[in-house]
Amino acid sequence: MHLKNADTLRFMPIFGADEEPRVRELLDGLERPVELLVAHGPEETPLPGARDVDFGAETQRIVEELAALSDRVTFRVETEPDGFERYPAIAVLPDGIDFGIRYYGLPWGYELGSLILGVVEAGRREPALRPESIERLAALEHDLSIDVFVTPT
Amino acid sequence: MLLAYKTALASPRIRASAIESTEFPALADAMDVWAVPRIVVNGVPQWDGAVPERVFLDRILAPAFE
Repeated sequence: MHLKNADTLRFMPIFGADEEPRVRELLDGLERPVELLVAHGPEETPLPGARDVDFGAETQRIVEELAALSDRVTFRVETEPDGFERYPAIAVLPDGIDFGIRYYGLPWGYELGSLILGVVEAGRREPALRPESIERLAALEHDLSIDVFVTPT
Repeated sequence: MLLAYKTALASPRIRASAIESTEFPALADAMDVWAVPRIVVNGVPQWDGAVPERVFLDRILAPAFE
């Protein structure tokens, strides 16, 4: 499939010249390696009005560019791996371990920042929460699924 | 969003997902997403907007989710 805007997208940088050094600096602070797993669906279904953007391909391109900025960030790509509810998706895996952290959809605009900060959090050896919060969460005896609906603007 | 990720990192019992609403409109409609961020716990819509850490924990650790 050839996308009408594929040529435009290919040359559009993910990070601006002023953003890249800041992102590098954030990723340099990672205390442990973080792997990003890009999960593609069985086929791409463009949304009406999406101007033929291939969300899966764009998601992968963002992750590739992010991984290129730090030795501590790696990525792999799979089609329909276990543990995903929809596609495209990114799993953030500190030390390659699945803590259940997902980003569903293309992380563009404002949400690219959320993904980067998610990687930064995953890169900490200790969660950046108050000690009493960590204590309360450690006592949790049932499963919780938290979904946060976001928009790119 | 970050608080949800942080809690997932702190507890093996918690999974945290960000979901881009415009890309999954049917799901966003089902969860009555109008303002963002909209927080959904165990498939049930809860509240909109950022809250302080203690309030976030009070809400997700409420007895209703046990």
